[in-house]
Amino acid sequence: MLKLPTFSARTIAVGYGVVSLLVLAMFAGPLWYAWHTNVEQVRTELLRSDAQRLANLFTRSGEQALANAIDSQVIGTNDGVRKIMLLAAPDGSRIAGNLSAWPQGLPDRDGLCSSTIHVDGKARRIEAMRVILPGGYRLLVASNLNRFDELERLFVYGLLACALTVLVGAILGGMLIRRALLERVQGISQTTAAIIEGKLSRRLPEPHDGEELRLLTVTVNRMLDQIEQLVTSVQDVSNSIAHDLRTPLSELRARLEELAITRPDTEETFAEIDAAITDIDRVMGIFQALLRLAEIDSGSRRNGFVEVDLARLGAEVTEFYLPVAELKEIDLSFHGGDALTVVGDPLLIAQALSNLVENALKYAPEHGAIAVSAQREAGDVLALSVADDGPGIAEDERPKVVERFYRVDGSRGTPGVGLGLSVVSAVARLHGGSLRLDDNAPGLRATLALPVHKLSARSDNPDAASGTAVRA
Amino acid sequence: MKLLLVEDNERVARFVCKGLAEAGHTVDHADNGRDGMYHAVSEPYDAIVMDRMLPGGIDGLAIVEALRQQGNRVPILVLSALDGVDDRILGLKRGGDDYLVKPFAFGELLARLDALMRRSQVQTADTTLALGDLSVDLLAHKVTRAGAAIALQPREFKLLEYLLRHANQVVTRTMLLENVWDYHFDPQTNVIDVHISKLRQKIDAPFATPLLKTVRNAGYMLTDRP
Repeated sequence: MLKLPTFSARTIAVGYGVVSLLVLAMFAGPLWYAWHTNVEQVRTELLRSDAQRLANLFTRSGEQALANAIDSQVIGTNDGVRKIMLLAAPDGSRIAGNLSAWPQGLPDRDGLCSSTIHVDGKARRIEAMRVILPGGYRLLVASNLNRFDELERLFVYGLLACALTVLVGAILGGMLIRRALLERVQGISQTTAAIIEGKLSRRLPEPHDGEELRLLTVTVNRMLDQIEQLVTSVQDVSNSIAHDLRTPLSELRARLEELAITRPDTEETFAEIDAAITDIDRVMGIFQALLRLAEIDSGSRRNGFVEVDLARLGAEVTEFYLPVAELKEIDLSFHGGDALTVVGDPLLIAQALSNLVENALKYAPEHGAIAVSAQREAGDVLALSVADDGPGIAEDERPKVVERFYRVDGSRGTPGVGLGLSVVSAVARLHGGSLRLDDNAPGLRATLALPVHKLSARSDNPDAASGTAVRA
Repeated sequence: MKLLLVEDNERVARFVCKGLAEAGHTVDHADNGRDGMYHAVSEPYDAIVMDRMLPGGIDGLAIVEALRQQGNRVPILVLSALDGVDDRILGLKRGGDDYLVKPFAFGELLARLDALMRRSQVQTADTTLALGDLSVDLLAHKVTRAGAAIALQPREFKLLEYLLRHANQVVTRTMLLENVWDYHFDPQTNVIDVHISKLRQKIDAPFATPLLKTVRNAGYMLTDRP
């Protein structure tokens, strides 16, 4: 666990250092180059023009004038002196200038040269221009290179200091990042370890700074919420399955066992067998509903989405249940106008609406009324709703009735497996919509709200145009 | 009718074979995919009942597909424990004519098989259907019985048409739900029975002999036989 943060912090520090040094080199290199070439160029040109000017003076005004001019321009030979000039007689003896004698080590030719000479016992790097004047007089005009030494040294030291600062900064930064990362990762890993041990309610602490980590933390926490909900619902479902399957199965077992023990006459045996088959059908019904729920929740049905006209679908489902309502003398009516098209699974939406209507039929009193309607709720939300005038559902019960196998107290005696509203809710989720349960004062108004999605890439689907159900 | 049953579960196979024999059919049985394939290609059958998951290395749907590729158009009813809508669609897409989920009531299987075999025998484009003194004009949407006109709702008309097309055959509630309403879920209420009884009110109640009969544990049958 410790290896990863160490590695990443070190990588960050090394990367930061390398990049900083690169930037420094990219900045200093050209500067150094430009400075050097420029200074050299200027220096060489100065030397040339100086030598030319002095030679001209000699030709024009003679030896004494040149000597005076040189002596007026240069004094001394200390470290900071810029110019070195010397006028020497043909035999090499000094006439004027700040050198005592013609220096050793200069090449014996005219023109530019770089050399090191000794002046007053000190070595001096110079760039020199030698000119032989008429009459054998020798003129030396030179530039003292040593006076740049200090500047170059400062430049290099500055550069080194910069590099050092950058490196120290990188190391410190790396250590800090590593510590911060470690702290946070340790927080995450401790929480995760707790979750692995089964404390599903634990959540990652949300950091106050650092958008990236906060984002990650929030996402992970949302995932944990979902996992906790799933685990809880799986537990609930297991308990409910155990309960709801055990009841018909134990009835069935009792029935068969009694049959085996008492061995009644043929007539009664057949009646018991029929009852046993009914028990099994009930178990199968629960299984089928659970499988259907799992299929819906897996989202695989989205592949078969087509355009569905909710108004037509609502009218058809209402018509389907009309005879049942008439039998119970319930006024079942449909209210809807123009086509209301959503993209979805017509089979599932029809099943969802059927479940709502069947629920209403189950709970509406005789001579009651059930109103099915299709309408536009908001700009892009369409809704199918079923309103009855039955007993309704108490407000605190409403979220629970959507849960699997939940049945309102007192409804245990009525047929049904307690999965109807779960299926409706799952169908709503599959379509990105929702199931709302409101007070119809009196009674219950169940609304299946579905957002309109355009059928984009799937418009080539032949079923899309007609809006008819897929034949399966 | 000569039928082939490809089913590996011994108890289910025995039960189905016995039932089909009692219904007057001759049944061959294969308990694995290889034998099933061999029987299906080497002998002419009136219909095949094919389980989807079989031992012997050949899946039931693969056999169906192979038969269809050979141009064999025998009606095939696919049996399966897989109940997803996608599984149904796959089963039909690959050449099955009908799809029945296990466990099933034998009456359901028999009714669907009869419907399949009937469909392959006569593919009629009739404009009138008649049974006894009941006659239906499909173009004019008119129903008469013993000369008297009967007014039906559009859906009642469709229900009657389906029953007439399968006259003298058992039709199950699921078959009606799927073929008349195009719904593929089990209503928790007896809504189909109520629709049937409404239809019965109109076509049978005023007359001496009822045509629309209830078949216990199976469904309904429109018949003029006593």
